[in-house]
Amino acid sequence: MGGPTTGRRPRVGVVKLASCDGCQLTLLDLEDELLAIGERFDLVEFPEATSRRSLGPFDVLLVEGSVSTPEQVEQITELREKTRLLATIGACATAGGIQAMRNWADEPEWRASVYPSPDVIESLPTSKPVADYVTVDAELRGCPIDPHQLLELLTALRVGRRPQLPDEAVCLECKRQGRVCVLVAGATACLGPLTQTGCGALCPGYARGCYACFGPREEANVDSLSRWIGDDRPAAAVDRLFAGFTAWSAPFRPSAARAAEGFAGTKPLETAAGAAHEEHGDA
Amino acid sequence: MHEGAVLAEEHEFSVGQLTRVEGEGRLHLTVDRSGKVDAQLRIFEAPRYFERIVVGRHPDEVLDIVARICGICPVAYQMSAVHAFESLFEVQVDPAVRVLRRLLYCGEWIESHALHIFMLHAPDFLGYASALEMAADHRELVERALRIKKLGNRIVAIVGGRAIHPVSPRVGGFSRSPRASELEELRAPLAAALDEAVASVALVAGLETPPSDRDARLVALRHPSEYPMNDGRIVSSDGIDLAPGAWRDAFHEDQVPWSHALQAHAADGVPYLLGPTARLALSSDRLHPTAAAALAATGLSVEEIRRNVFRSIVARAVELVHALAEAQDIVAGYRRPEVTLTPWQPRAGVAAWATEAPRGLLFHRYEVDEGGHVTAAQIVPPTSQNQAAIEHDLELFAPAVLDLPHAEATLRLEQLIRSYDPCISCATHFLKVRIDRE
Amino acid sequence: MVTAAPEAIFLPRERLDALLDLLREGGRTVIGPTVQDGNLVLDEIGTAADLPAGWRDEQEPGRYRLTDGHGDRVFDVVNGQLSWKRYTYPARQEVGRMERQADGSVSFAATPPDPPRLAFLGVRACELAALGIHDRVLAGGTFVDEDYRARREAALVVAVQCTRAGRGCFCTSMGTGPEVRSGHDLVLTELDEGFLVEAGTPAGERLLARVPGRKATAWEAGAATAAVATVRAEIGDPVAADGLRDRLMDKLDSPRWAEIADRCLACANCTMVCPTCFCTTTTVSSDLDGRVNTTERTWDSCFTVGFAKVAGGNFRPKREDRYRQWLTHKFATWVDQFGTYGCVGCGRCVTWCPVGIDVRAELAAIAPPASPPERAPSRPAAATPGRFDVARLIASSPETSDTTSLRLAPGDPALLAGLPGQFVMVERPGFPSLPISVSRFGTDELVLTVRAVGPATTGLIAEAPGAEIGLRGPLGRPWPIDRALGRDLVIVTGGIGLAPLRPAIDAVLADRERFGDVLLAYGARTPSDRLFRDELERWSRSGIEVAQIVDRAEAGWSGRVGVVSQLLETRDFGKRPTIAFVCGPERMMQATVGVLRDHGVPAERCWVSMERHMQCGIGLCGHCQMGPYFVCRDGPVFSVAELGELFGREGI
Repeated sequence: MGGPTTGRRPRVGVVKLASCDGCQLTLLDLEDELLAIGERFDLVEFPEATSRRSLGPFDVLLVEGSVSTPEQVEQITELREKTRLLATIGACATAGGIQAMRNWADEPEWRASVYPSPDVIESLPTSKPVADYVTVDAELRGCPIDPHQLLELLTALRVGRRPQLPDEAVCLECKRQGRVCVLVAGATACLGPLTQTGCGALCPGYARGCYACFGPREEANVDSLSRWIGDDRPAAAVDRLFAGFTAWSAPFRPSAARAAEGFAGTKPLETAAGAAHEEHGDA
Repeated sequence: MHEGAVLAEEHEFSVGQLTRVEGEGRLHLTVDRSGKVDAQLRIFEAPRYFERIVVGRHPDEVLDIVARICGICPVAYQMSAVHAFESLFEVQVDPAVRVLRRLLYCGEWIESHALHIFMLHAPDFLGYASALEMAADHRELVERALRIKKLGNRIVAIVGGRAIHPVSPRVGGFSRSPRASELEELRAPLAAALDEAVASVALVAGLETPPSDRDARLVALRHPSEYPMNDGRIVSSDGIDLAPGAWRDAFHEDQVPWSHALQAHAADGVPYLLGPTARLALSSDRLHPTAAAALAATGLSVEEIRRNVFRSIVARAVELVHALAEAQDIVAGYRRPEVTLTPWQPRAGVAAWATEAPRGLLFHRYEVDEGGHVTAAQIVPPTSQNQAAIEHDLELFAPAVLDLPHAEATLRLEQLIRSYDPCISCATHFLKVRIDRE
Repeated sequence: MVTAAPEAIFLPRERLDALLDLLREGGRTVIGPTVQDGNLVLDEIGTAADLPAGWRDEQEPGRYRLTDGHGDRVFDVVNGQLSWKRYTYPARQEVGRMERQADGSVSFAATPPDPPRLAFLGVRACELAALGIHDRVLAGGTFVDEDYRARREAALVVAVQCTRAGRGCFCTSMGTGPEVRSGHDLVLTELDEGFLVEAGTPAGERLLARVPGRKATAWEAGAATAAVATVRAEIGDPVAADGLRDRLMDKLDSPRWAEIADRCLACANCTMVCPTCFCTTTTVSSDLDGRVNTTERTWDSCFTVGFAKVAGGNFRPKREDRYRQWLTHKFATWVDQFGTYGCVGCGRCVTWCPVGIDVRAELAAIAPPASPPERAPSRPAAATPGRFDVARLIASSPETSDTTSLRLAPGDPALLAGLPGQFVMVERPGFPSLPISVSRFGTDELVLTVRAVGPATTGLIAEAPGAEIGLRGPLGRPWPIDRALGRDLVIVTGGIGLAPLRPAIDAVLADRERFGDVLLAYGARTPSDRLFRDELERWSRSGIEVAQIVDRAEAGWSGRVGVVSQLLETRDFGKRPTIAFVCGPERMMQATVGVLRDHGVPAERCWVSMERHMQCGIGLCGHCQMGPYFVCRDGPVFSVAELGELFGREGI
């Protein structure tokens, strides 16, 4: 503690693995606090924002993205050795991300279907959370992470206390805000009761069911909620709810696996039908 | 020791990971004995196979998924996809929904352009490693940038639920539309940001640029009455004119062996340029009067901006004014949609559309079965279309800087690349600079 | 029975706006039910047109639907999800600010209540009962939630008689409705053509005199009474409430708890929608430098995994533990604490459970009616003061490798007047409050002995002399020193447990001749893990028998090795009346109490200090509940007899 420039500023790195850059952008999106953060933390490695580079050591390393290539395995292993406190940020780093859907697929076949020269692509058959490879000291959930939680993590690091990152259902925040339950009052499939809070109960506030981008909370009773919402929906419709941005998290994995099987069974469109509607957009 | 001399012996120039761009890429230059440069932009962003992840999914799931291609421009991905599906399913949305989508897109343009102009690109001109370091000497400038950026984020958050990966866009409209009272908080900041953005146009127009002269083919949407965002025809500076879903009639994608990104090319193989410069050159007559006036006040012609690759920052600043002014107009005249979400029925066919992401034309094409499930997808982001143009410009520009000390040469080359505001996260489906000399 | 008093006024439907204007006088905002985006919510009512005319609800466990087009009645839609709690006890309320200046000084300011002037329109009988319960819980004890009290006093309550029943309703069983009997300023009964208006308070009578209607006819009064009677009949008596407290407490081991846990999501919706649930958590947010800190009280729930967690573990680790806690609190231990059930039968927990768990059905399954009711007497709240003071750290001295004693000079002498066994809440900017037992009350200083178990305690220990530290207290129930007068006293403790007992030893030594034999039995992991080692020596020379034992011997240790209860096994405390004070981990205390009982100390004379997750320290946040007790307020010191079956039991 003390003034902004008292003492040695912690050396902070922000790095990415397989990801969309949205979580590290969240740091730049702390517009009101960014300059103050820059004065209190030494951002020695943050390629998205600065040309200054560092190979470590780091007091704090924020890691975005999932581990999905052989280089990333080496990279994260090396970074871990140079880092005192490693925090994973976002659904990719903490749960594998949407790209973890490949974990149920024939990855070479996927690669060949997207890239004409699949041989030059280096990729692992799986996309997995960072914690599967190295020890993680703290995690921020979400796709993307919540700016308030990022600020809380940084503040706690500086003040020297534990970050207040509650492990409770989205429902508590939803009810605190006085939002009427979309599941009970609207028959909308909502994963809020199973999902860790942090987003501010966003989706129900926008008349949608929660799609669990913060992933399962401790003790997510997936079976009970699935039985209930499965009463008036086909089983496949229930399973696909879990095949989202935290599909590879252990509690959601069985449901997501069944959904992935369904996706793989989608038949290509008949060429004729495709051609019939190819010309669009003259409206 | 003068590094340039060593390079001349080793025939090789290499720049590590490109910084102040979104995603991971490298530049590799090969210089032959005559001094001719061959540039390869290498994107080593890990592949995530989005075109496969969407297979088997319903259209609304696709909107959530494709947003995750890029954390900087998720709205663009949602917009190209939503228009593609709505055109196939012949969904007529409430006109107020269309206006609200434009407001959402304005928000993303404001956030993305403010980020790039001030935080990523301006440090090149002013000689800093980052905006945070620049803040030590130019605090007011950085604070201004942050205010404008915050406003863009706020617009996206009010309309879409959050600044990154919005949740409200749905096929048929929005899951929820804001009440007029919710937009009230935007009025005062919009008025203030608009003044600051107008001043910024003058500021960036005054920045000294390295010499550059090119005559690129420009491609962008053009709309009968609007500055292009969600809608219009795909046109080029040399006569291409296509429906927004018919991109494949004039362009194709292929993979170059040195990159994880697919590159897009015109049928005739001539590189083309997308983004603010292209849009400005092709639709300057559609600018909001406030943006047109800000451009006119600089004394720069559109022609001067398009010929100097480093002037893209001016085009971006003019567009920033445009987006703020249009957002201001929309907020002032806002009417909550009567029908926020129009019901729709799926049908089999090809859903294809292009919209203008902050970085340029973004084309989506989905094959859909009768149940509405995607059976195949093609997503062509702006950066993979610009890649050939970037390489072409590097080949023209590089000989002038290769004899400089390595660090300075790298900086100049990166500055050129950053002029395109490349988004590498998107392009996988982008840079270390390395030069080989033969 | 509702009887339309002679002074009842009939207000024609078209004159409802005139009533709203009356309610708004003096700058009040009228809050009532309204339909927004297809949902029934509570919000500002500008004109009568904002009320939900023609809307009705369909409720089932886990399902709520609104339909419209049912005529022009505005109060036909029964309770929605939102209760009035959000206006009287907001989900998020700033309670204080703490600042640390550059010179290290700290200041704390409680946020003064600033209640909005509201008129609640459409409060039903069950909700009036819920407000009454909150009045008792939050404003009826020793400690008062000032913000709540101010909000209640500022609000005008316009009730409405229920003329339709919801499928989740069981007010009839809980004795709270459907008739509005008290707690209202005005009450409306909606009839086809308008409203019967009656007053419940002098303020209501003054308003009623100005309501632009005419005197109600006998027919109108009769129709109003009949309408409510119909609702009573429709609801029936779904919950056998008589004797429910005892039946439920007898079923703490029912297999049904585990069955419910299979369905229960532990999502906390039932507690969030409950109009009486009052548990909160206190969060401290700060600026980047930890200088400016805001303390907020936020709705919490006994269903969250972390609710009963302390540094060493979780007192209610399983979902079934948490469901049992909630249900037994509502229908049993609430009676012990506050003299009424904690449930008003509004049915919200039934309707708004995402998986339709129906509390009525669960009560019938777990505790079917059998025995006649027996009401437990309500307990008087323990009387301890609660104030905030800034103390200065005089010095800190390590006791063991992980434990340090802090000598603090409080600004307020009241802190020095605490009693042995009491604790203080330690407040540091940027950190959550810590409950710490006082290990010595000096003449101008008090001592806190703190073990480093996490960042907050580690940081506290690391504070430099001169640092300002916030203290609230002394809090909690002390060791019953007076009961030991003239008796033999045995003090049994282990490790850090000696700290809260040292003031008791100090008290004994200050008045040694008034006590009989005094034995201190002290166990520790190793000899160097013993606290106050030089004092142990001194005590044994001052008339206290000090017996010591360690788990693991070290070089130079010639004493006993083993567990602390072994020190008692050769004793006979039955010869003379002996009282015991025990402090340590719950398992250790359980073992010790067993040995003491076997050697002549009955449960009534065996006193233990319980550990629970304490947050507010004054019995208002709910975290430390243990059966009928809030450990911070009613304890931490209890006799084993008071705790009964709860002592040593897991998951409570």
